[in-house]
Amino acid sequence: MVSPVISLRDVTKSYGQGSARTPVLRGVSLDIAPGELVALVGQSGSGKSTLLNIVGGLDKADGGEIKVLDHDYGKTAERDLARLRNTSIGFVFQAFNLLDHLTCLGNVTLPAAFAAGGKDAPARGREALDRVGLSAYADRRPSELSGGQKQRVAIARALFGRPKLLLCDEPTGNLDSATGHEVIEFFQKINKDDGVTLVIVTHERRVSNIAQRVIAMRDGNIVEGAGTDVHTAGTGDDLGGPA
Amino acid sequence: MMPTGKLARMVVANATRSPKHFVLSAFGIVIGIAAFVFFLAGTLGVSDVLLGKVFPLDQVEVIAPHTSIAGKNLSQKMNADTVAKIKARPEVRDALPRMTLQFPATGYGKFEGQAINFEVGGFTDGIPDAHVAGDPKLEPVFKDWEPDGKAMGPACVPNTPNNCPDKAWQYCDASDNMCHHRVPVIISPTVLELYNTQVADSHGLPHIGVMEQFIAERGRDRMHFWMGLGSTMMAGSNVSIDAAKHREVGAILVGVSDKARRVGLTIPIGYVERWNRSFVGDKAASEYSSIIVTLRNKDKLATFSQWLQDEPKLKLEDQLGASFATAMFVITFVLLGIAFVIVIISAINIAHNFFMQVTERRREIGVLRAIGATRADVMAIIVGESAIIGVVSGTLGSLFAWLASLGVDWALEHVAPKFPFKPDSLFNFEWWIFASAVGLSILFCVLGGLLPALRASRLEPAAALAQN
Repeated sequence: MVSPVISLRDVTKSYGQGSARTPVLRGVSLDIAPGELVALVGQSGSGKSTLLNIVGGLDKADGGEIKVLDHDYGKTAERDLARLRNTSIGFVFQAFNLLDHLTCLGNVTLPAAFAAGGKDAPARGREALDRVGLSAYADRRPSELSGGQKQRVAIARALFGRPKLLLCDEPTGNLDSATGHEVIEFFQKINKDDGVTLVIVTHERRVSNIAQRVIAMRDGNIVEGAGTDVHTAGTGDDLGGPA
Repeated sequence: MMPTGKLARMVVANATRSPKHFVLSAFGIVIGIAAFVFFLAGTLGVSDVLLGKVFPLDQVEVIAPHTSIAGKNLSQKMNADTVAKIKARPEVRDALPRMTLQFPATGYGKFEGQAINFEVGGFTDGIPDAHVAGDPKLEPVFKDWEPDGKAMGPACVPNTPNNCPDKAWQYCDASDNMCHHRVPVIISPTVLELYNTQVADSHGLPHIGVMEQFIAERGRDRMHFWMGLGSTMMAGSNVSIDAAKHREVGAILVGVSDKARRVGLTIPIGYVERWNRSFVGDKAASEYSSIIVTLRNKDKLATFSQWLQDEPKLKLEDQLGASFATAMFVITFVLLGIAFVIVIISAINIAHNFFMQVTERRREIGVLRAIGATRADVMAIIVGESAIIGVVSGTLGSLFAWLASLGVDWALEHVAPKFPFKPDSLFNFEWWIFASAVGLSILFCVLGGLLPALRASRLEPAAALAQN
């Protein structure tokens, strides 16, 4: 049996202290297999983004067991976790998070700064930009690009290290419908062509529609079930507000 | 930890991407480091002149303390035993006895066509010939040519044109109508400097650079003058010398030496002994006025001073050099203190700037962590950026200090009047001043950037990325 890319057991997380302590994750358990395209949906404050951050090692859980790409986070040093993010996990954010003082190519190749070697980084960066259709924009600054183009550069940066796992937090949240559609199609493509496991936090039906599995969250718990059960958790096209 | 080359490239790119921030952070440090370099090179340069040329600290003068009871002079006197005792000290390299001419005498003659008259009695010391032995120009000529007091030349007719065989070195002495060797005289660099800066211009006389070269150009006979033993120019002098003893002696200036007394003339001690015996008495011919002690190095002064305190018969002459050294130390300390305060305030300013930067760059730091930067990487980036400010500020500060010194030196040359030992430059820019300036600049900038870097490294990536 193939071991899951992500394996969570009773993961808990709270913010604040004392009486102001607010539980965000209340014992979340799930497994995500290699090559899956999973949509993580739920209303605002349900804990979707927190869960994604914990899976990506960007935040720490209070309790539970987290295993990602065979790394037990409870036993993994901060340095090794950083290396895992550098080599095997890609992130795509709603706000793009590109650095304005760097060119598009500079943004895409930025992960190479934290790894040894990498003389081929510019070539690989151009290749990544080419995949998202922006090879002509390599020397431009992010401020010269549209929102959709910025997100494609961010995706190119996420793909630069040829990751096994791509974690996307509301990747279409700041994009218009047509551009968002392009991005979704691209996610589908890299999942299909490269076998990259994708976990996409979203509240948009069109994203969850392409997912092989939809995991719904509510009040810090995973609500088992898929399809219409989950979709009805929101109203209309909306599957819930931002987490 | 990210590779060093990549870290350096990122640090340089980050440090230069916001010129406004860079200038704001660097400005204070540049001023502070410029002040540090300027003050340090300035005090070092002035110290070099004062303590190297004017008051050498590795040379001290030992005298016998003057004591008297009921008007009776009970001062201890120094003699050859005293010299031997001092020479035996481990911190002493050499001890040079001096004997002052203890009776009135005048000097007169012509120099460059102008008549000159000066007092010699009390302003002339005798030193052993051996003490110029290391000087190849003085050694052959600075000696007691007539140790037994007898003329070395043939008979002659005084008060006529010089009819001695060696007109450059001999003169006809009217006391015995015999040709005598002229008394060799040396002067100190201080006298030469006083002449160049205070006398030459006001009397239309030529400046003298290298004395030996001057003598070679003008000829030995231009260095002749006379010493009138037993006579004085001082009005009201109550010393009476039997007129029968008065004598005119020919002298010749042979060179410049730091062995010579600071102000006055210096001649071989044999002449002074004979003349003191003749004009004052035997006792005056065996007592030294002072002993110039050359220490193995200036750091030995404290040990030697301590030894002298336990010697009731001896004491140090007022140590102007030590006083200047102390004064220079205090001045240096105060000026460097000011520079340090500026640098410290600037470091606090840098810390403030970087704290603001870390707040402004939270999202960027979050992105870096998300794509693989460790806490140590983030810390190294921020510290590296502050170090770059340190390198640039240290270099610029040193450059500004050097430029300012050029301005001061220009003013010194063109505006300031001449004064003794006026140097070409008031500054001594030793390489270690620049090195320590850049080092200090980096140190304080890094100190300033350390806490902000620590805060940046402790940012949780998720929290940093959540910033709007």
